[in-house]
Amino acid sequence: MSSRAASRWTDGSMGKRVAKRYAAERRFRLFGLAAVGLSLAFLAFLLITMLMKGIGGLSLEFLSNSDATEAANAGVWGALKGSLLTILVTMAIAFPIGVLSALYLEEFAPRNRWTDLIEVSINNLAAVPSIIFGLLGLAVFLNFMHLPRSAPLVGGLTLALMTMPVIVIAGRNAIKSVPPSIRDAALGVGASKMQVVFHHVLPLALPGILTGTIIGMARALGETAPLLMIGMRAFIATPPRGITDPSSVLPVQIFLWSDEVDRAFVEKTSAAIIVLLIFMLLMNGLAIYLRNKFERRW
Amino acid sequence: MTLQLALVAILVIAATAGLFARKRATGLRGGGIRLNSLPNYHALFVGLWTALPALLFLAIWAPVQSGLVEQAVLASPAGQQLPDFQMVRDTILSEARDIATGRIAAGFNPESNAIAPVYSAAYGKYSMVGSALAVLIALGSALLAMRLVKVDFRARSGVERLMMGLLVGASLIAILTTLGIVLSLLFESLRFFKQVSPTEFLFGTSWSPQTAIRADQAGSSGAFGSVPLFWGTAFIGAIIAMIVAIPLGLMSAIFLTQYAPARARAWLKPILEILAGVPTVVYGYFAALTVAPLVRDFGLAIGIESASSESALAAGLVMGIMIIPFVSSMADDSIAAVPQAMRDGSLALGATKSETIKKVVLPAALPGVVGGVLLAVSRAIGETMIVVMAAGLAANMTANPFASVTTVTTQIVQLLTGDQEFDSAKTLAAFALGLALFVITLILNLIALRVVRKYREAYE
Amino acid sequence: MIDTLIPTPTDTAEPAVEERTPKMSARDVKVFYGAKEALKGVSIDIHDDRVTAFIGPSGCGKSTFLRCLNRMNDTIPSARVTGTIELDGEDINSAAMDVVQLRARVGMVFQKPNPFPKSIFENVAYGPRIHGLAENKSELEAIVEKSLKRAGLWDEVKDRLNESGTALSGGQQQRLCIARAIAVDPEVILMDEPCSALDPIATAKIEELIHELRGRYAIAIVTHNMQQAARVSQRTAFFHLGEMVEYGKTSDIFTNPREQRTQDYITGRYG
Repeated sequence: MSSRAASRWTDGSMGKRVAKRYAAERRFRLFGLAAVGLSLAFLAFLLITMLMKGIGGLSLEFLSNSDATEAANAGVWGALKGSLLTILVTMAIAFPIGVLSALYLEEFAPRNRWTDLIEVSINNLAAVPSIIFGLLGLAVFLNFMHLPRSAPLVGGLTLALMTMPVIVIAGRNAIKSVPPSIRDAALGVGASKMQVVFHHVLPLALPGILTGTIIGMARALGETAPLLMIGMRAFIATPPRGITDPSSVLPVQIFLWSDEVDRAFVEKTSAAIIVLLIFMLLMNGLAIYLRNKFERRW
Repeated sequence: MTLQLALVAILVIAATAGLFARKRATGLRGGGIRLNSLPNYHALFVGLWTALPALLFLAIWAPVQSGLVEQAVLASPAGQQLPDFQMVRDTILSEARDIATGRIAAGFNPESNAIAPVYSAAYGKYSMVGSALAVLIALGSALLAMRLVKVDFRARSGVERLMMGLLVGASLIAILTTLGIVLSLLFESLRFFKQVSPTEFLFGTSWSPQTAIRADQAGSSGAFGSVPLFWGTAFIGAIIAMIVAIPLGLMSAIFLTQYAPARARAWLKPILEILAGVPTVVYGYFAALTVAPLVRDFGLAIGIESASSESALAAGLVMGIMIIPFVSSMADDSIAAVPQAMRDGSLALGATKSETIKKVVLPAALPGVVGGVLLAVSRAIGETMIVVMAAGLAANMTANPFASVTTVTTQIVQLLTGDQEFDSAKTLAAFALGLALFVITLILNLIALRVVRKYREAYE
Repeated sequence: MIDTLIPTPTDTAEPAVEERTPKMSARDVKVFYGAKEALKGVSIDIHDDRVTAFIGPSGCGKSTFLRCLNRMNDTIPSARVTGTIELDGEDINSAAMDVVQLRARVGMVFQKPNPFPKSIFENVAYGPRIHGLAENKSELEAIVEKSLKRAGLWDEVKDRLNESGTALSGGQQQRLCIARAIAVDPEVILMDEPCSALDPIATAKIEELIHELRGRYAIAIVTHNMQQAARVSQRTAFFHLGEMVEYGKTSDIFTNPREQRTQDYITGRYG
C-alpha cells in the first residue's frame, strides 16, 4: 500500500517532470507563433521591398504611358489596358459557362457515368498547372484555329478555360447552400424546375458565385505563364484598340522589364508590381465585402 | 463588315418577332381563356427560334466564306501570279485581307497591294450572299415559329428544353477542355517521339535541346534526356520548397487553430492567405532580385565557391513560402476533422495541449495532412514563373542547393519562346515535357484526393 | 390488395372508397425508394368539402403519400410511384397532365414554414405571376390582398407588405405560406404537419384557419398530433408501416376503431 501512485504526485522528481512538460508546452507554442511570425515577416519583407523600390516610379506618366525602349518613358497603360481586355474576355466566357455548368451539375444532372466524367474533369482541371493551359492555347487557338497571336482574345480564351473550373466549384458550393425548402416552396405553387432554378436558386446563390468568380478573376489577372505560351511577350508600344490587337498584359510586362539590363527598369518593374498588387487587393477586397454582406445563415 | 450587319439584323428580327408573338399571345388571352404559357414565354420561344438557326448558319458560313474568297482570289489573274511557296503566299494573302478590311493602309509586299482590290471584291460578294441567306433564314424561322403561338401551345416547355440544351452544352465544355489538353499534348508528343526515341527522352541524362539549321552544323543532334529536368523540378519543388512549407504551414495551422485567440485568428488567417494571392511573377522577381543574391553571398560566406546567383535554394525557398498558406489550410481542415472526443480523451488523462496535439491529433490527422502535402507538391512542380526567373537554365544533376538546376516548366518556356518553327524537335519537346508534367500532376492529384477522401470518411 | 383494405361495411364505418364522385382518388398507390417499398398499396378518396387527416407514427408513409398527390416525389430521383391517382377523373401521372398545372391545382404547405427570402407581397404574388393569373398590377394586388385576408394575415401585415417574409414570426410565416398556396386558386390544399414547428398559440390560429378554409378547398393534412386530427378533420386515415390500416369518419376512428392497431395507436401504445 505504501507504493500507491497517488503519494508520488507531491514528490520533488514529479514536480520537476511536470515543470519540464510545461516548458515543452511553452516551447511548442512558441514554435507555432514563430511559424506564423516568420510567414508574415516574409510577406512584409516582400511588400516593403517592392514599395521602397517602386514608389518613386509611380507617377501619372507611368500610368498613362505604354512600353518604351527608354526606361524613362516606359509606362504601364498599354499593359493595363491589355490586362483589362483580357480579363473581360475571360469573364464573358468563363462566368456564363461556369454558372450554367454548376447549375446543371447541382440541379439537373442525373447520376450516371457522364456526370461522373464531367465532375472528374472539372476537379482535375482545377489542379492542372497553368502552363499546361498555355500549351493548350498554343496548340488549339493559335496553331489550329489561327487566331491572332499575342491578342487579348486568345489570352482571355486561355485564361477562361483555366478559370472556369474554379467558378464551377465555387458555384456548386453556393448552390448547395440554398436550402431545399425554398425549392419545395416554389415547386409547391407550381413553378417548373427551370423556374425554381432561375427565379429562386440562382439569385440566392449569386453572391457566393460572384465571390468565387472574382477570386478566380484575380488569379487570372496575375497569371503569366500561359500567356507567355501564346506569344504575349513581344515589345508592344501602343495600347491595344480591341481584343484582336497585339497586346501585353501587366504580369507579362513585369516579367519583360525584370529581364532588362538597364538598372532604371528595376524601379519600373517594382512600380508595375505595386499597380498589379493594388488591383488584386481591390478585387479580393470586393470578394470579401460581397461575402460578408450577403452571407446568409439558413 | 456585312456579316456583322447581318448579325445585328438577325437580332433585330428576332426581337421584333418576339414582340409580335407576345402581342399575339396576349390577344389570345382575352375572353377568360387561359393560355398554357405566359405571353413572355411565347415571345422568348419565337425570338430564340428566329435567332438560333440563322446564327448557327452564320457560324458555319464564316469559315466557309473565307475559303471561298481565297479560292476566288487565287483563281483571278493577279492571284495566279503569286509565288508558289506556301508561307510567302499566306503572308501576302493575309496582308491583302488586312488592306481590304481597312486594318492597314498598305502592305509590305507589293503583290498584296495588287490583289487587295480582287480580295475586296470577292469578300464583298460572298459576304453579301451569306448575309442575305442568314436574314432569309431568320425571317423564315420567324414565320414558322409564329404559327405555333396558340392557346394550348406549350411555349414554356419549348423554351425550357432550349435552356436545358444550353446547360448540358456548358457542362460539356469541361470534358472538351480536358480532351483538348490530352489530345493536343499527345498529338505533338507523338510527333516529337518520331524524331527522338522515348527511351532517350525518359532515361537520358543529358539535356541540350539544339536542332541544326543546316545538317552539317557541329553538334547538330541535340540531346533530349529529360532526367536532369525532372531531378531539378523535384529538387526545387518537392524537396527544398517542402522543407520550408511543411513545418511552417503545419505549425501555423496548429497555432492558429489550437492556440491563437479567436480574434487574432480572424485577422491572421486572411493575412496569411495573401501569400497565396500574390502573383507568381512577383515572387519570381523578388526571388531573383533580393533572395538570390542573399543566398549566393551566404553560400560564398560559408565557403561554397560554386554558389550560383541562380541557385536552387533561392527558387525553392520562395516557392516554399508561396505554398505555406496552401499547406496550412489543408492541415487546418484535417485537424478540424479530428473528433473533439479524441482530444478530450487525451486531455482528461492529464496530457498537456502540446502532448495531445503531438501524440493524438497529428497522428489522427496524418492522412489528411499527407494528402494536402501531395497536392502542394503537385502545385509546386507545376509552378512556372518563380523558377523561370530565379532558377537557371543549366541542366545539372546536383544535390548542392547553392548550384543552379533547371526545371521542366523553365524549359517549356525556354523552348517555346523566341524564334521558333513549329515542327522542329526543339519546340515539339516542349509538348512532350508538358505531357509528362500533366501526367505526373494528375497522378499526384488523384492519389491526394483519394487519400483525403478516405480520411474524411473515416471520421464521418 | 384493395379488397383487403376495404373493410366490411358496418353502420358506423365508412369505406375508403366512396360512391360519390371524389375530388381526388388514389388506387393501390405504392412508392418505392430504390428497392425499399415505403408505401404498400394505398387506396383513398378525398372530397372537396371536408378535411381529411392522415395520422400514424413517424415513418409510416403518411407524408410520402401526401407528396404523391401533387407529384412532389418527382423531385426525389430514387423514388418510384405506381398505382393511379386521379384529380377530377384525370390521371395525374399521365403524360397529358402537366406537373406544373397539377401543382397549381393541388397546392402544398410544408412542415417548416418556408417563405421565400423576398418581401411579403412578392411571396404571395409569385404564384399568380408565373401562372399569369393577373393581367395587370392592380389585379395582382387584389389577389395578394384576398389571399392574405383568407389566410388571416392581412391585418397584421397590410402596412409592411414590402418587408421580408422571413422577418415574420413562425406562425405568421406559416400563414404566409398558406396565403401563397391560396393565391394560385388551388382546388386541393395539402398540408404536411403544418404546425409541427409552431407554438400552441400559433397552432390554434392555423387550426382555426383550416376550419375557415374548409368547404372552399379540399384539404388533406398530415399530422402526428392526434388531438389536432380530431379537432380539424372530418375523415381520418391511419397509416402504419407503409400501409393504410383504417379510414373513416374521424369520430369513429377515435371513439370506435375497427382495427386493433388503430386502437393501440390512439391509446398511446406506440408511436
